[in-house]
Amino acid sequence: MNWSMVKGLIFKDWYFQRTAILLAFAGGAVSLGIVCIGGQASFTIGLILLVTVMVMISAMTVMGNVLGERENQTLPFVMSLPISYLEYTTSKILGNLLIFVPFWLTIVAGSLAVIVASPVIHGFFAFAVIMGVEILVNTCLMIAVALVTESKGWAISAMVAGNLAINVVGYIVAHIPGISNGMWGTTIQWRPAATISLVTEIALIALLLVGAFFIQSRSVSEIDSHSG
Amino acid sequence: MNDLSVQFEGVSKKYAHFSLENIHLELPTGSIMGFIGANGAGKSTTIRILMGLVHQDAGSVRVLGHSMPADQAAAKLDIGFVSEDMRLYGAATLAWHMDFLRPIYPRWDQTYAMELARRFDLKPQQKIKGLSHGQRVKAALLLALARRPRLLVLDEPTTGLDPVARMEVLGELMAVLADEDRTILFSSHNTLDVEQISDQITFIDRGRIIDSDDKEAFLDRWRRLRLVLPPDGVVPRLPGVVEVGGSGRLPVLTTNRFEPAMVSACNDLGATVQAVDTMTLEEIFVANVHSRRERLTA
Repeated sequence: MNWSMVKGLIFKDWYFQRTAILLAFAGGAVSLGIVCIGGQASFTIGLILLVTVMVMISAMTVMGNVLGERENQTLPFVMSLPISYLEYTTSKILGNLLIFVPFWLTIVAGSLAVIVASPVIHGFFAFAVIMGVEILVNTCLMIAVALVTESKGWAISAMVAGNLAINVVGYIVAHIPGISNGMWGTTIQWRPAATISLVTEIALIALLLVGAFFIQSRSVSEIDSHSG
Repeated sequence: MNDLSVQFEGVSKKYAHFSLENIHLELPTGSIMGFIGANGAGKSTTIRILMGLVHQDAGSVRVLGHSMPADQAAAKLDIGFVSEDMRLYGAATLAWHMDFLRPIYPRWDQTYAMELARRFDLKPQQKIKGLSHGQRVKAALLLALARRPRLLVLDEPTTGLDPVARMEVLGELMAVLADEDRTILFSSHNTLDVEQISDQITFIDRGRIIDSDDKEAFLDRWRRLRLVLPPDGVVPRLPGVVEVGGSGRLPVLTTNRFEPAMVSACNDLGATVQAVDTMTLEEIFVANVHSRRERLTA
């Protein structure tokens, strides 16, 4: 693996996404600020905004970094560089994660800090961690689908499916006895059910990324089908 | 020592509605090959296989001594590639592209890049999205040439350019190539473009290589013979005749194996040779394609 080329491609993607990254951090900070105002309404609105901003940045980076290369016809330029398709795939997966994860980590850590600082919502801690990681699962799903299908339609479908999954997963997690029991309490509780949920999500992330690597490593066409 | 920069042996690639079949192609080091075919003939597919961007189903491809697609990363270090469907990053400047490529290519020549920018009348600080199509092609050429590649692959670089821009790009390209010694594969459906810069010609049609030779050999061996037959005379059987046109007593024979002795042979057979016309590369290409298609449908 030519890591210096992979690094170069990641920096390139950062460069082109720099405005989106800055806007996302600004949006995240505003949302966190709303959460911190206090009161149930601002907490709910702030939380919805946080999730929206995270979904938006994940969609923007995947659309721009992965599908944008094909749509803007810059993929032939990138693939004319001394890289293999596996190195290209590596750069896209790592690049997207390195753009999204610092932002995601900041927002999730900020949200958890707000929960920790507010004893009345301590019970939400486990639920918030699991839902925070669920957003990362969504992002990985989008990255994997975009890379493998190279289709905007499929990537949008994955985004919609992921957003629906947030609601479904949220509902399910909120009804798992080991988590729901203490959710409205004022103490932070971490039970085996939360660990199982978290491990499942991490396994799903690994499966999606390894699956994308595996499929891409067997790809026989890096540009597209016959055109001339 | 292998003096071939590109070598295709029995290369095939199948798609749902198109197949590249049994491609044998050799590009000697230092030569400039024009790769001519109609739209959809398989030029771009062949070039993508050469670049390792599409994997062949069968056959072997060696580029600059590297097996493709397995060693594509190493091979591409010495290849400059410009294709009709290649775009640079519109939001970035030409200078950004130069800075991006400079650490990747050990032989990157910044002085040469700046000289090319001046020669191509490009401003490095201008964003790509602000350039005309012709300027974008020139920018892509600059970025390919400044790598000092051992092999330059140009896939229809002049397609989509207006006549003025096309002549400008070709003129600049010829000027640049005049003081260079490198191997070039130049694909186009425009024979005039290819004729200007190539010393070798390969024709491809419907996924198959139909002819390949030195440009001069092509131009020397293809001729149109305008005959006048005596009453009740028959068209003489000459070697390499691929097409018989004209009418009645005034047939026009197109041959790909012309020799001056043919004229006296015609006279001996009772036909008068009114004229022996040279053919342009475009006429040769069209006659070649037609004769092959007719043979296939016969």
